[in-house]
Amino acid sequence: MPLDVASRAYVVPAGVDADTLLAFLADRFDVAADQPVSADSTVYDTVDRRLRAAGVEARREGGGAKARLVLLEGAGAPPVVAPLDGPVRDRYLAPELPEGPLRDRLAPLLEERALLPLVELRTVSRSVRVRNQDEKTVVRLTLSTPAVVAVPDPPQAYTGGPRRAPDGPITLSTRVTVTGVLGYPRPLARVDEALAGELGLQEARRPLADEAIVALDGDPSGLGGSKVSTQLAADQRTDLAAVAVLRDLADITEANIPGTLADLDTEFLHDLRVSVRKARSALREMKRAFVPDELEPQRATLKWVQAITGDTRDLDVQLLDWPGLAARVPADRQAALEPVHVLVAEHRAAAAERLDAELQGPEFRKAWAAYREFLSDVEASAGEGDDEPADAARPIAWSAGRRIRKVYGAMVVMGRAIDDSSPADDLHELRKRGKELRYLLELFGGLWPAAVVKPMVKTLKGLQDVLGTHQDRAVQVESLRALGPELAKRPDGPNALLALGTLVDRLEHEQEEARSQFAERFAPFAAKDQRSLVDTTFRGAP
Amino acid sequence: MKVLATYNIKGGVGKTSAAVNVAALGARDGLRTLLWDLDPQGAASFLFRVRAKVKGGGRKLVKGRSDITDLLRGTDVEGLDLLPADFSYRHMDLALDSAGKPTRRLSRVLEPVAEHYDLVVFDCPPSISLVSESVFEAADALLVPLIPSTLTMRTFDQLDEFVAERVSHPPDIIAFFSMVDRRKRLHRQVVEAFPVDREDVARTAIPAATEVELMGIRRSPVVVDRPHSRAGRAYGALWAEVRARLGV
Repeated sequence: MPLDVASRAYVVPAGVDADTLLAFLADRFDVAADQPVSADSTVYDTVDRRLRAAGVEARREGGGAKARLVLLEGAGAPPVVAPLDGPVRDRYLAPELPEGPLRDRLAPLLEERALLPLVELRTVSRSVRVRNQDEKTVVRLTLSTPAVVAVPDPPQAYTGGPRRAPDGPITLSTRVTVTGVLGYPRPLARVDEALAGELGLQEARRPLADEAIVALDGDPSGLGGSKVSTQLAADQRTDLAAVAVLRDLADITEANIPGTLADLDTEFLHDLRVSVRKARSALREMKRAFVPDELEPQRATLKWVQAITGDTRDLDVQLLDWPGLAARVPADRQAALEPVHVLVAEHRAAAAERLDAELQGPEFRKAWAAYREFLSDVEASAGEGDDEPADAARPIAWSAGRRIRKVYGAMVVMGRAIDDSSPADDLHELRKRGKELRYLLELFGGLWPAAVVKPMVKTLKGLQDVLGTHQDRAVQVESLRALGPELAKRPDGPNALLALGTLVDRLEHEQEEARSQFAERFAPFAAKDQRSLVDTTFRGAP
Repeated sequence: MKVLATYNIKGGVGKTSAAVNVAALGARDGLRTLLWDLDPQGAASFLFRVRAKVKGGGRKLVKGRSDITDLLRGTDVEGLDLLPADFSYRHMDLALDSAGKPTRRLSRVLEPVAEHYDLVVFDCPPSISLVSESVFEAADALLVPLIPSTLTMRTFDQLDEFVAERVSHPPDIIAFFSMVDRRKRLHRQVVEAFPVDREDVARTAIPAATEVELMGIRRSPVVVDRPHSRAGRAYGALWAEVRARLGV
């Protein structure tokens, strides 16, 4: 049973200021207005604007001992407020938020992403009360004129927000927020009628932060993760189609570098690696569209980027999974695992330092510039000369379709050969092929009907999930075992080793469990009707 | 949800003043607060400029035939809602008597909105009746204003005894001295003679102050209108004690 009261915000058109609006209201209602007050606030969101997508807004308000984080959920819901004790951070991961209802609401939205400051606003607000004949407040209004006054320094630390700092305050549109008072619906309706009906004000649909970001040349939708949706035409040349996809992927890689270097959250590095992995896959699968001597250095570059980012990511995953890992040993032994946790964190810090040095170093800069140049050169020279690579001029649908059939076919053969006696490496290899197929479907699958591609992706995902669990557990076991010698030298090392042994046993058991599910997941993937569908769908023009 | 009731069998001792100010302070502290004006005189409703009228009257309300959410009114204090008085509350004893389980009825009225409020404050009428017993059953604490007089302790002890004997889950009792005029020797003597270690008596005393009397003219709690006045500060201190006792 909701007791929230209705609330809506209207945008006041340019040329109409707060005083004019107040006079309009005073002509029609008994109003009492407070003096204008100015207050600063900072709007927060993740780099991929998860809060915006969920229709909520988070702001830091106040300063010093009065600093607080306010969550606005719209539609008249009362704000959720959490005091910010201690120094105010410029980044909040979910566990770093103050405990309480605000963290409970935000944690599922944030997941591993950090809440980052987007824009700083200075808002002049005036509270206005509409009163009845008893001088009782029956409608509350706030007239506010915000201005963007600053952006976090430096604005390029992440690319989910403004692209530049304001030269001076940039005034945004004045808004009037109208909130009813419980038990007085009719006055609210009359005020709405006056503002929307008589004055023609439009409801504010665009979040204030969006307006601020656009004013500062940013894209309010933020950074979009590692998924690309390059527009391709089925008859497009393979080399040009591949370059279009590769260029989008390179943009994603570059966009995630600042956040990786600033270590804002683990998703920057993850998205960086996924974009590089997809690019490697695209280069491999479409290699017949490129000149081999020109292609190989670029493949080496991407392989190198994958390698230098691998350690940090593996350790990130261990640390993110740590609560789940620790929960796998009996409760009375979990505390003994803490030295392992500490050691993993130390290794991670060292790996991140090495990664930063590589990404900021001359070798990366040079190699990446060369990669970009390669993409431009392919685009510029497409169709020139008589000795083009074999598939360069072929339609992308033909090239991609052929690769999808081949990779799928290879997976069917490999999967059928796997039985209980097969070494773990056979499943790892199948998983690698599965990634190739997944990326082919993601990058080029839009050329075919979704009704065919989606079910195929679904069965592939089902298979990849168990193969992934199988391999992930193997990798975890190996990396945890490798800590043994170092751990033995630490205080509490022997206890930690015992607890580690229990954890490793548990992970190996899970690896076996995943393996036992392989046949069940492989069956629908390799079923006869699926094989026929792949063969007919991805052969010829879509 | 915690329930606090301002109560005294005698009238004119500062129950409504305490109820409206404590409720306003609860809301100011971020607690979602509901004030139920149970007194048919409707003084609390008047102070908050809300018409003392409940659709269907008190009988329908306590019998569970009214939708309480239709009756609530937001006040000028954000976060504080009011369930207004109604002149029919003068017959509430009869309404409770004719309903089953009369001493549980007030709690039941609040059940549909219990999850929406952290604090409910009853402003009770001066009486000892079925309404009072229902209040005692519903309340986590009674806030009892005492005018310093020679018979004060006797009245208080009688209430203490009544609650202990008749109420199945006796609420905490927090008495406080109200309308204290330190120019009067009797007031000073009674207040000073009170044992300081009595847990059921608040350390804070509310002074007899013009600001409190003017609430009826200004129609606003003194903690909203004159928060830094002597009375405003005293209610603030009283609320701090009450809040700590309630654990809210």
